[in-house]
Amino acid sequence: MTNRDEAVISPKFGNVPKSSARSRTGRVALAADGWRRWWPYYVMMAPGILFFLVFHYLPIWEARIAFEQVRIVPPNIWVGIKHFQVLFSSPVFWQVLANTLIISAMKMVFFLPVPIIVALLLNEVRGGSLRKFIQSAIYLPHFLSWVVIAGIFIAALSPTDGAVNNLMGMAGMAPRSFMTDTGAIRWVLVFTEIWRSAGWDSLLYLAAIIAIDQQLYDAAEIDGANRWQKIRHVTLPGIVPTIATLFILNAGMFLNADLNQVINLSNDVVRSKIDIVDTYVYRIGLQTGEYSLATAAGLFKAVLGTMMIVIAHFVSKRLTGKGVW
Amino acid sequence: MALSRKTPIERIEYAIIVSTLLLLVVVTVQPILNLLAVSLSEPAKVPGMSGLTIIPRGFSFEVWSVLLQHPNVQRGIFNSIFITAVSTVIGVVGTALMAWGLSRPGLPGRKALFILVLVTIVFEPGIIPDYFVNKRLGLLDSYWSVILFKAVNAWYLIILIRFFEEIPKELLEAAELDGANPFQVFWHLVLPLAKPALATISLFYLVFHWNEFFRAMIYLNDQGKWPLQVVLRQFVIDGDKVAIVGANSASNNTGASQIDLRSLKAGMILLTIVPILAIYPLILKFFTKGTMSGALKG
Repeated sequence: MTNRDEAVISPKFGNVPKSSARSRTGRVALAADGWRRWWPYYVMMAPGILFFLVFHYLPIWEARIAFEQVRIVPPNIWVGIKHFQVLFSSPVFWQVLANTLIISAMKMVFFLPVPIIVALLLNEVRGGSLRKFIQSAIYLPHFLSWVVIAGIFIAALSPTDGAVNNLMGMAGMAPRSFMTDTGAIRWVLVFTEIWRSAGWDSLLYLAAIIAIDQQLYDAAEIDGANRWQKIRHVTLPGIVPTIATLFILNAGMFLNADLNQVINLSNDVVRSKIDIVDTYVYRIGLQTGEYSLATAAGLFKAVLGTMMIVIAHFVSKRLTGKGVW
Repeated sequence: MALSRKTPIERIEYAIIVSTLLLLVVVTVQPILNLLAVSLSEPAKVPGMSGLTIIPRGFSFEVWSVLLQHPNVQRGIFNSIFITAVSTVIGVVGTALMAWGLSRPGLPGRKALFILVLVTIVFEPGIIPDYFVNKRLGLLDSYWSVILFKAVNAWYLIILIRFFEEIPKELLEAAELDGANPFQVFWHLVLPLAKPALATISLFYLVFHWNEFFRAMIYLNDQGKWPLQVVLRQFVIDGDKVAIVGANSASNNTGASQIDLRSLKAGMILLTIVPILAIYPLILKFFTKGTMSGALKG
C-alpha cells in the first residue's frame, strides 16, 4: 500500500517530469527508493497503526451485528434493518433520545456562559498570586473522575447532613433529596458539569483574552473607558471567535451527554429522567443481552453524531477559521 | 495602574469581582474539605456532623487505617497503580513513535494515516462492538482489556505531531547528513527536544487511565482485578456496604462496621483522589501551558 502511495506522491515532490513518458519500471524503482528511505518510520509507527486498526476499525466491522440475528450457534443470520425498525417503534428509545437532547440543551444554555464569565472576572484580578491561587482551586475538579464527583455530590446533596440542605435549613427551608427528585436530577447533571469543568474551560477563554492586543486597552483608556466599557468593547469582541468555535463544536457533540456522568449520578428513582442513549445501549446490550438492538441504537447515535461533528467542523472552520482538528 | 487613580466605585467593583471568584473557590473546595474533615474525625462523633464544616470533630486516623488495611482496597490500589503505569508507558511510547513518523512531511501515505486517525475521532461505533472485539481477542477479564483501552489516544497523538513539527528542519537535516538513521535521530535528538511535550502527554495518559472506570467495570468480572475507581463505585454509588466492611464484620456488627459508613465513604473518595492531588502541581504546570498554547480540548 505504501509503495503505491509513494509512486503517486514522489513525482509531485521530486524533480521528476510529470510526463506520461515515465515508464512503469521507473515508477516502481522510485517507489522502492522511497521505501528504502522511509521503512524505518513505518517500523516505528507499526504498533500505533496496529492499535488503531484492531481497537478502532475492528469494532466498526463488529458493528454489523446491528443487521444480524445473533444465534448461540454461529453463524448469525442477516436480517437487514429489522432491529432499526424495532428501535424506531420503541417509545423507550424516543424517550431516551429526547432525554439526551434535553440534557445537552440544558448544559449548552446554562454551562457555556459560566466559563466565559469566570475568564472575564479572572482577567480583572491584578495580584498574580491571588489569581494563581484562584486558578489552582477551580481547575482541580476537571481532573477528578465521575465516580469521585458523584461520591462528593451524593454527600453534599444528602437530605440529612449534606452542605446544601444544611444551608437551606439555615434559611428555614424544608430538606430536599435532590438525588432522588425527578424534578431536580437534570439540574444536578447541569450543576455538577459546571462544578467540574467551568473553571477549567475558562482557561480557553483566558488564553484568548491574553492574546488581545494591549494597545486596544490603552487606546480605550485614553478615550476614558471604564472597566465595563473596556470589557464590552475590547475584551468581548476579542474573544467572540473563541466563543463561536466552542459553541459550534459543542453543538457538534450534542448527542454525547456524558455516559460516565449519568451512570454514576443515576438511580432507580430518577432513571427515566436522565436515561440517555449511551446508558440505554449499555443497559439493553450488556445487562439484558440484546446485543443487536443495542448496537443498532449505538450505530444510530454514532452516524448522527458523526454527521453533526463533521458539519460543525466545517461551519466552524468557515466562520472562525478553527475546527475540531 | 496606580492605586491612587482608582475611584471608590472602582474599588467596590474590584471587591465584588474578587469576592465572586473567592465564592467560586469555596464552592469548589469546600465539599472536598468537608469529606476530609469527616474522614479524620473520631468515628463516634461523625453522626450529626454538618456538611458545612471543614474542621474534624476530634481527630483520628482510624477510618484511614481501616481502609488501608482492607484487602479489597489494597487490591484496588495495586490494580490501579499497575494498570495506570503500564498503560501510560505503552501510551507514551506508542504515541511518540507514531507521532514522529506522522510529523515528517515527506512520509509516503501520511495523508491516508491522518485520515485513519481522524475517522476514529469522529466515528465511534459504541460499546457493544468494542465489547465483542475484546471478547474475540480473549481479553475479557484480563488486565489488557483495560490497559489497551485508548492506549494510543488520537487527540494526544495530534498534539505530539504538532509539537514534533515545530522542531527546526535544519536540526533534523544536519543529523541526517551526519549519517544518523531515523531511530537515532528520534532517540538522540527528537525525544530530548520534546521533553515538555512528552511530560504533558504522560500526565494526560496518567490522569485518563487513573480515572477510567467504565471499561474496568464492564470487562473485569474478577473483583481481584478491579481498580480503585470500581471499588469506590461499588461502595459509594451502589452503596454496597459489605464490600468494604466485610461480610463477617457486617453480620456481627464488629470492627469496621461499627465505624460510621459516612466516614468510610468520605475516606474512600479521598483515597482515590490522593494520586491526582500528588501530581496536581505538575498538572498545573504542564496542562495549563499545553492548553494555553492552543490545543483545544484535553
